[in-house]
Amino acid sequence: MFRFEHVYQGVLQDINFTIEKQDKVILFGPSGAGKSTLLFLLNRLNDPEKGDIYFNGKPIEEHSITALRKQVGLVLQAPNLFPGTVLDNIKYGPSLFGEWEDHQGKKLLDYVQLPSDYLERDVDQLSGGERQRVSLARTLANSPEVLLLDEPTSALDYRTAEEIEEVLECLMEEHQLTMLMVTHNLNQARRLGNRGLFISDGKIVEDGKIPDMFDQPKTEELAKFLEQ
Amino acid sequence: MEPEISNQSLFFLIIFVIVPLALSYYYQLGVSKNVIWSTVRGTVQLFAIGYILTFLFDLPARYGIPFMLTVMIIIATFHARQKGKDLPYVGFILFGGLLAIEVGVLSLWLLFDMIQFRPSEVIPMSGMVIGNSMTAMGLALERMKTEFKENNGRLLASLSLGAEPKQASHLIVQNTLHASLIPNVDRLKTIGLVQLPGMMTGLILGGVSPVMAIKYQLVISLSIFSSVSLSAMFITLCMYRYFFNKNKQLLQTDEEIRSSRS
Repeated sequence: MFRFEHVYQGVLQDINFTIEKQDKVILFGPSGAGKSTLLFLLNRLNDPEKGDIYFNGKPIEEHSITALRKQVGLVLQAPNLFPGTVLDNIKYGPSLFGEWEDHQGKKLLDYVQLPSDYLERDVDQLSGGERQRVSLARTLANSPEVLLLDEPTSALDYRTAEEIEEVLECLMEEHQLTMLMVTHNLNQARRLGNRGLFISDGKIVEDGKIPDMFDQPKTEELAKFLEQ
Repeated sequence: MEPEISNQSLFFLIIFVIVPLALSYYYQLGVSKNVIWSTVRGTVQLFAIGYILTFLFDLPARYGIPFMLTVMIIIATFHARQKGKDLPYVGFILFGGLLAIEVGVLSLWLLFDMIQFRPSEVIPMSGMVIGNSMTAMGLALERMKTEFKENNGRLLASLSLGAEPKQASHLIVQNTLHASLIPNVDRLKTIGLVQLPGMMTGLILGGVSPVMAIKYQLVISLSIFSSVSLSAMFITLCMYRYFFNKNKQLLQTDEEIRSSRS
């Protein structure tokens, strides 16, 4: 689905990897290693300084940028909701492409386990966890094939983070999505991912199955990171 | 007979300078030098412009007016440019905007016989329009930069959902215009109630009847209202696009913005 060939951007150096359809990839590593930069490259919020990225077999720059961004949804660490109601937010993406239908609202709130009467609620009245759910619903409204998650629970308390995790688990099962998620929470990584990419100093240091990586790290760098 | 302030009377204006100087000295505000320098500079500038205007008013209108308007627009461009010097082409866009607004307003004034094509009428009135437009453009540029910084996350979220830069910046443009226009609307609402506008005051002091002074004031106030609104709109709608590159990506640093078009 995605292929990186010798990609350089900012701190990222010579990044090479492939992501297959329905992979659940967890990107983890120390802060400033380039994890968010990597997600931004996939959504084309940024372009590589050097190297090539392929999406569905075609160079990423040959895809229409807006269409690609619709297919490859991104949920940022902060919800960054737009002023207005929950409905205004979740119909934002589909409305850009003239694809919004009113019946979708309730369904989307259902996906993120929010009651349907929240549709008319002003986003200023929502709690942190609710805001992140709305942000997730807003991205899902575009029916993406790939879901990029940039530490979606890092700003939330433990209980709320667990709730969001449950929502994500259900979504992955129901929608057969391909997922790339940045997280510092290793338990979360174990629960949600089937593959891990350990990034440090802008390089992919280890790439493998999550349980294997966590239980038997191959590199000293990963072992040290896990100890911390 | 024209009302006149004698040089002797003018000299006593020094009292108005001594008051802030004394305050500065007493409270050790450290602005005494600044007060003296600003007063001297302001006085010299005003006398200089007085002599320049006298010279220009004596020139035939077809030379004096275009010359002075060009000088005003160039100075206004350089001044407003300070607020957005990281943005590409900002000087050209400001110059073009100020020129178009001034030409438009002047044409309407002349077309509907509101003023005569005489330096003594066109230059002071145009000065007010250009000056206010310059301030509006500068404020809009400054506000837009702040809005782009403060709404970075929302802009990224919007782009990531597939929005075009124009759609993603809608909120920024809206906030910038709102912030630029509201003081303008408020000013018009309270005109004459809180203070008599400067032009009207000047005309009354010059011996013109208050009703005639009000007519001139209305012409200038509504012209300023319109040109300030247009200026803010023009500069905002022209400049927001320079915060994105051709790949619809948000430029997040001044350096990126500066180098985006080179």
